[in-house]
Amino acid sequence: MQFSTPVFYIVAALVIIPAVLMVSLKNLIYSAMAMIACFSGVAAVFVTLNAELLAASQLLIYVGAISILILFAIMLTRRRSGAVGIFFHRQSWAALPAAAALAVVLGLVLGSARFNAGSSPKNPATANLSRLLFNQYAFPFELASLVLLAAIVGAVLLARRERRP
Amino acid sequence: MTPLQHYLVLAGVLFAVGAWGVLARRNIIMVVMCLELMFNAVNIALAAFSNYANLGAGRGEAFVFFVLAIAAAEVAVGLAIGIAMFRLRERLDVDELDEMKG
Amino acid sequence: MKAAVLLIPLLPLASFIITGFFGRRYFREKSHYLSVGSVALSWALSMYVFIQVERGQTLSWQLYTWIAAGKFHVDIGFLVDELTAIMLLVVSTVGLMVHIYSIGYMHGDKGYYRFFAYINLFMFSMFMLVLANNYLLLYVFWEAVGLCSYLLIAFWYPRLSASNAGMKAFLVNRVGDFGFSLGIMLIFVTLGTLSYSGVFAAAGTLGGGMVTAICLLLFTGAVGKSAQFPLHVWLPDAMEGPTPVSSLIHAATMVNAGVYMVARSSPLFAHSHTAMLVVAAVGTFTAIFAASIAMVQNDIKKVLAYSTVSQLGYMFMALGVGAWAAAMFHLLAHGFFKGLLFLCSGSVIHALGGEQDMRKMGGLKKKIKITYWTFFIGALALSGFPGLSGFFSKDAILSGAFSEGYWYFWIVALITVFLTAFYSFRLIFMTFHNEPRGDAKVFAHAHESPPVMTAPLIVLSVPTVLAGLLLGIPPEGGHIDHFLHRVFAAAIVAPAHEFSFLSGSLMAISAAVGIGGILLAWHFYLRCPFLPAAACKRAGRLYPLLLNKYYVDEIYFAVIINPLRRFSGWLWRIVDDGVIDGAVNGAGWLSVGAGRLLRPIQAGKVQGYLFAMFLGLLALMIVYILLML
Repeated sequence: MQFSTPVFYIVAALVIIPAVLMVSLKNLIYSAMAMIACFSGVAAVFVTLNAELLAASQLLIYVGAISILILFAIMLTRRRSGAVGIFFHRQSWAALPAAAALAVVLGLVLGSARFNAGSSPKNPATANLSRLLFNQYAFPFELASLVLLAAIVGAVLLARRERRP
Repeated sequence: MTPLQHYLVLAGVLFAVGAWGVLARRNIIMVVMCLELMFNAVNIALAAFSNYANLGAGRGEAFVFFVLAIAAAEVAVGLAIGIAMFRLRERLDVDELDEMKG
Repeated sequence: MKAAVLLIPLLPLASFIITGFFGRRYFREKSHYLSVGSVALSWALSMYVFIQVERGQTLSWQLYTWIAAGKFHVDIGFLVDELTAIMLLVVSTVGLMVHIYSIGYMHGDKGYYRFFAYINLFMFSMFMLVLANNYLLLYVFWEAVGLCSYLLIAFWYPRLSASNAGMKAFLVNRVGDFGFSLGIMLIFVTLGTLSYSGVFAAAGTLGGGMVTAICLLLFTGAVGKSAQFPLHVWLPDAMEGPTPVSSLIHAATMVNAGVYMVARSSPLFAHSHTAMLVVAAVGTFTAIFAASIAMVQNDIKKVLAYSTVSQLGYMFMALGVGAWAAAMFHLLAHGFFKGLLFLCSGSVIHALGGEQDMRKMGGLKKKIKITYWTFFIGALALSGFPGLSGFFSKDAILSGAFSEGYWYFWIVALITVFLTAFYSFRLIFMTFHNEPRGDAKVFAHAHESPPVMTAPLIVLSVPTVLAGLLLGIPPEGGHIDHFLHRVFAAAIVAPAHEFSFLSGSLMAISAAVGIGGILLAWHFYLRCPFLPAAACKRAGRLYPLLLNKYYVDEIYFAVIINPLRRFSGWLWRIVDDGVIDGAVNGAGWLSVGAGRLLRPIQAGKVQGYLFAMFLGLLALMIVYILLML
């Protein structure tokens, strides 16, 4: 499926605006909501890139799992006293120009003619991608699952309450 | 057809936004969230390259899969650490985690 | 003869080392044995050398090479000629007498051994000074005698005035020595050698201006060491030292070093008429200047000190007009009679238990007869009374000046003869005649000094009387002229004169002037004792001016010393404390401040580290991009 450029701009807006919102909002829950919106936007981007499996995985993993995990974490670490606290660093005034500079640089580089590419989209269909995953990349696939296992064990261990009699 | 550069610029800007958040926010969980943004930016870039460049079909996508998996693992562990810190200190201020100073 | 020449300085040196190290514990009151013994041996050897030189045997001997640095070559070497022989004669004889005298004078002093050690060191240095055969060696021992002078002037160092006087002597000498060293450097730069023989052989090759410059610079050293105006200020203060020191160092030997040096450099000076004129002018002026001050001083030693300055002026005048032999003759005679006079004054002081103010003396004639008569003889010599050594030597100078055409110097010198005679006998009359003016108890206790002290007095009066007759007759072209002729041959511009009616009448004039001075003193102090006080009042401002030595010291203080002190103070506060300490402390401050600024970099905050990494990454990217462009 070919997508025209205006569609891209809409999708891009769907990604960037929630991202900026997320970073700048003081309330953590609102930030989390924005994050979910951003992730969804990224899924849309994947769709425009003919990577449907990726889009689905993104929604499942990021929106469905990671965002919930983050929300849990936010809930669990509410400060009892209710004090507002400081959200931004004293040095945050330096971070913004730095990040802006990075954006400018990246934009200049990545937007330059170096990255002229062909017009024919090449992402394979889901079936072919799956075949790729289970044949050529089987080993990393298994390894990834091992990493996930380790992460699970580690997370459980770290977050456990110390309750020894 | 949207040119490749558009996607790359999008990825780059998203990355910068994520970087801003990582450097500027004070809550650990917020930092982790912005970190995820940066991961996503990278994913976009990878998928875009895989779609446009002549580097072997599907490789970029496979890479994105693995990034997804590892990012998830990392978030889990990171948040676990964050919760443990919170239990210890009742606060999640990054500035207070300065045992490594000097 | 070589052995003798080598032993003459080394014996006192050995004595210095041994007495210096062991004197305190082991020798103590017996310290003088080794000391006097070694100097006695040196005296005997000096006599031997003198006789050898008289027979025509001279010595030029390189002991060993001291410095060999490329073009700069200096040896330790000895030069013994007639000039050296005369100096050895004076130094060793007066030195021995002073050593013996000191046994009595310094008896009971806490620093007995130290005294003898020091004067032995001095004898060593002085001997080496006159024996040296090159300018650098001369300079080394020039400084060495200066050091000994300092040590001995400040011998009773717990007394503030004494240690100040020692410092003053050393510092004023230093000023002169600075010029001296510049002169020596100039000699080396232009002639490439510092040995006497080398320099004098090449003296003719220098340009007129250069020779004058060198001679003037060398002369500044002499001005300092021999206490000529304007560097005379240290000698009167040097009277703080024990009287034997004043006699030996500041009358007979060290102060003559300047005269000796100029005499030795006669081949150089002969090439520069200007320099010689300067020498003569300075000498003449100093002579009358110091004599005028001596007229009104009340301390017995100060009178003699100014007298020494004045007589040294005579010697320089002689050198300056080209009467080289006459200058050395006067050096010889003056060494004996001034050395005698100082020892006599020491005897008087000893008799009166330490009193030095002449206003408190008087009436001692009958009480200390030996001292009185030897003192009297010395004063006669100083005044130039006919027949004594002083007469012949002074007259040699005067006629030398007159015959070379410097009649203006001659007139000033003649006036000075008058003043000299006046103050010499003023000294005698105030000290010994009339009724005692001082403390009655002190006067009752006054006694003659022990034989250890009076024997040298008697011994020294012999050459005082005879030296003139032996060496100075006939007056022009006497024995001493012939003796020294060979040494000064290069420098004598005019042929020696013969005794003539002119010189005879000059002699008569100077004799008459001298006797006139004595008569005036007799009139003032014996006939009408009230006159001096009245004259002082009549003189008005003149008297305080003379009494205060023309305020030279005060002028120096105001013009040189105080501004220097203020400048040093300024340097200390502003430059040292402020700039240098400020810089050093500032460096410390900078480190601390920098540390304070940079510490947050490692504050332990992860986001800080991240930020740094981020910036680095950004910078790298920009550089990469720029490179790619």
